[in-house]
Parts: sequence; C-alpha cells; structure tokens
Amino acid sequence: MTQPTSCEAIALDPSDNVATALRALEPGAVSVRCGEQISVVTAAEPIPMGHKLALTALDVGAPIRKYGSVIGLATAAIKPGAHVHVHNLRSRRARAG
Amino acid sequence: MPANPTFLGYRRPSGRAGVRNQLLVLCINGLTSPAARRIAASLPGSRLVATPYGRGQFGADKAAHERQMVGLGRNPNAGATLVIGADRESVDHVAAAIATVGKPVEAVALDDVHEDALALADRGLRAGARLTHAISRARREPVSAAELFVGIECGHSDATSGLVSNPLAGAVADRLVDLGGTVVFGETLEWLGAEHVLATRAATDGVGQAIRDVVLQREAAVAATGTDLLGNNPGHENIRGGLSSIEEKSLGAIAKGGSRPIRSVLAIAQAPDTTGLHVMDGPGFSPESLTGFAAAGAQVMLFTTGAGNSFCNALAPTLKISAHPEAVQRLREQIDIDASAVLLGTADLEQVAAQAFDLLLETASGTATWGEILDETAEVFIRTGSSY
Repeated sequence: MTQPTSCEAIALDPSDNVATALRALEPGAVSVRCGEQISVVTAAEPIPMGHKLALTALDVGAPIRKYGSVIGLATAAIKPGAHVHVHNLRSRRARAG
Repeated sequence: MPANPTFLGYRRPSGRAGVRNQLLVLCINGLTSPAARRIAASLPGSRLVATPYGRGQFGADKAAHERQMVGLGRNPNAGATLVIGADRESVDHVAAAIATVGKPVEAVALDDVHEDALALADRGLRAGARLTHAISRARREPVSAAELFVGIECGHSDATSGLVSNPLAGAVADRLVDLGGTVVFGETLEWLGAEHVLATRAATDGVGQAIRDVVLQREAAVAATGTDLLGNNPGHENIRGGLSSIEEKSLGAIAKGGSRPIRSVLAIAQAPDTTGLHVMDGPGFSPESLTGFAAAGAQVMLFTTGAGNSFCNALAPTLKISAHPEAVQRLREQIDIDASAVLLGTADLEQVAAQAFDLLLETASGTATWGEILDETAEVFIRTGSSY
C-alpha cells in the first residue's frame, strides 16, 4: 500500500476519485499524493482530517472509488475539491428496505 | 530481527505456551456469578470470567456457548482453571473438556452444597487456592515466536486506521505468519464491500467461497431487521472520523490481517487446525470478537483504533495501536503503539512494524500492556440466539 508522506492528502489507488486529508484542510490548493505522483486540487470547502475530497467532478449515481474499490455512490452532483461524506455518498450494501 | 526470535513463555502440558500464568475462575452459569466474584476477589492474581447466561440455550447458540467456555478454559494464558456452575453435570462436562489438554482443573457446583451460595464460595476458594499454589511453580522459558497465536481487532476506527494502523498490524501479522505463527481476524460485517479483495487472498477456492458466503449471510441478516447499517456500522464515531460507508470501513479494516493466504474461515471460538492466517466469522463488536479469539486460543491481541478505544481482552494481553496524532497524545496511558509518525511522514511503516513486533514479543514475555495495568478488560460472550 502507498505510504502517506508529508503531502496534505493521499489517494490510495490511481483509479480513486477521492483523496483523504492527512490534516485539516482549508479551502485552496492542496497537494495530493498517489504513489510517486503529486497533483494539486483546489479544496472547495474546509475538509476535516481523515475526511475525503473529490478529485474530479462526480454526477449523481457515480461510483466513488477509494483503495481502488467502490465505496458507495454519489447522491448529489459533487464538484472537484468538495467534501465527500455521508451527505453526498451512500453505501450500496446492507440497505434497509 | 534474529532469524529465530523467541519470547519467554510458560510451557503447558498441552504443548502450547502461555504468555501469562493466571488462575482462571470460569463461571459457566449466571446463577453462580456472585459466588464466582467472591471467589476471585479472595484470590489475588486470579482472573474472573463469568457468563451471565448458561441455561435455556439451544442449538447453535448452545454450541457456541460451550466452545467459548471450553476454549477460554483451555487458553494457555491460564495455568489452571476453576469451573463454577449451578449443577454437577454441566461443570463436569466443561471441566472434562478442558482437562483433555492436560490443564489442571477443578469444578465446584451449587447443587454439591445444597444450593448454599456461601458454601459454594467457600468450596471454590479452597479449590482455587490449591490450583493457585500448583501454578505458582511454573517458570518462563524460551519459546519460539512461531508458537504465538495473535488475534487482530479494530475498534473506533477512523481514516488513520485504514491508512496506517491496520496496514501496520498487517505487517506484524505477515512477519509472524512468515515465522510459522498463527493469526486470526474477524468482524465479518467489516469484510462487507471488501470480500472481493479478501476472497482473492484465500488459500483455496473453497475458503474464498466461504468468505463470500458468510458476508452475504450477515448482510441478509442485517437487512432482514429492516434497519440501515449506516450509523451502526460505520458507527457515529467512525463517521466523525471521516468514514462514509461500510465498504470504505471494510477496505481499510481488512488490511489488519496482512497479506498472507487465508487458510480457513473459523466459527466463533473455533481453534484453527493449522498455523498461518485465519478469519473468524463473528460479530463486529470488539469485546465479543476478542472473546471469540481468546476462546480459539489466541495468547496476545493487537487492537487498532483511530480516536481511541480502551477495551482489552481479559485473558490475552491486548496491545493498542493508533496513528491519530491527537489520540496518541491524549491517551498516553492507553495506547501501547504510537504509529502517528507514519501518518505524519516522519517514519516508514516497516520501521514501526519492526518495533511493534519487538513489543509483541516483549509483551509475550511479561511486559505489561496499559490495558493490563489498568484492568480495562473483560470477556463478553457471544450469543447467536435468545434464551428459551
């Protein structure tokens, strides 16, 4: 697995469309590491440590990927750099009803 | 690391080695738990494990109850076991099963003393004193690390668990398996959404299919209750920590078992037939999950957490791991392994894993965990049905 480094957020697989904040992030430029690659994404809002931000624009119903696997579907349109969490991501598993 | 690392353990008649040498006061029936408490309180250094259940159990639930009682009684960290219960038949049944591994065991029952709970406490105290005297003769001796059986658990996980603490526990697990040791992790619900990854690590197609099957069974059981998993698993503390779905939590959680082939899917409290890595089909609630591991014979636990989780197993010393930079500062007397330097990028994971493996061996040799010092411990029994 990719090792976290001193960058500000980390994506764990090249297919991931979210990155995890390694510290509390303020809106603005964020360095994101994935393997040896460093990219920059603009955080659209504050992202608490350990929470996710979108690396790309995501449509409603789009699969959200972390660790190279789908962790849920977008329940709203998500802009690049937006906070991705339970308000706009829904599990595909063990749903009631 | 030396080629053949060892720890100092207590050799048992079963051939296995204990990392602690306690008298286990094992109450197998809730009716006698007050007497068991009196007995254990009168025997400093003994370890009380008392179920509140033990009657009116049937089928798979009864079988799981018995596996837990017998398995805990056989755990090599107990030098001897005192069985306490309501009737002579049930205490004899459990004591005989424990004695098959050569463990010194005595059994006292309420119906032996005409249902007099105070007389039961007196009789149990005398038997416990004899057993305590016998096990005080045990001495530690060098034992190969290959004889360790480690249970790996996570609780109150956050994003740092999946990024650092679970991969760290996994790296320790890989080291132990490569030396010939045994590892188990469980919490079936936390394979949900990651079972496709886990199944590819199965040693055989049959084990891979068994992993998929038990996940689907748990998922169906949760759905049948009409409740949504969100808010329960991931729980509120997981959500605060940034985990948004069970899939995300699971994909981080499965890293704690490392990367070696999965040899079997164990039932609750079932001892593995081989060394190597195993998974246990059991509950996600840590206290119960840990009891399942201890009853399967685990001598030490590794327990990863994000924001903190103080709960430890009673029979097996439990090493707490966190990579959360604030939690490790706040919980200095509760977190045994500080992995925050990996998160902050000032240490690499293999380096901290090597230190964690050394601490695992030291703990097996007698160094106390914070959980032991503070006695933040219990056994919590797993039920698979209600009492009738």
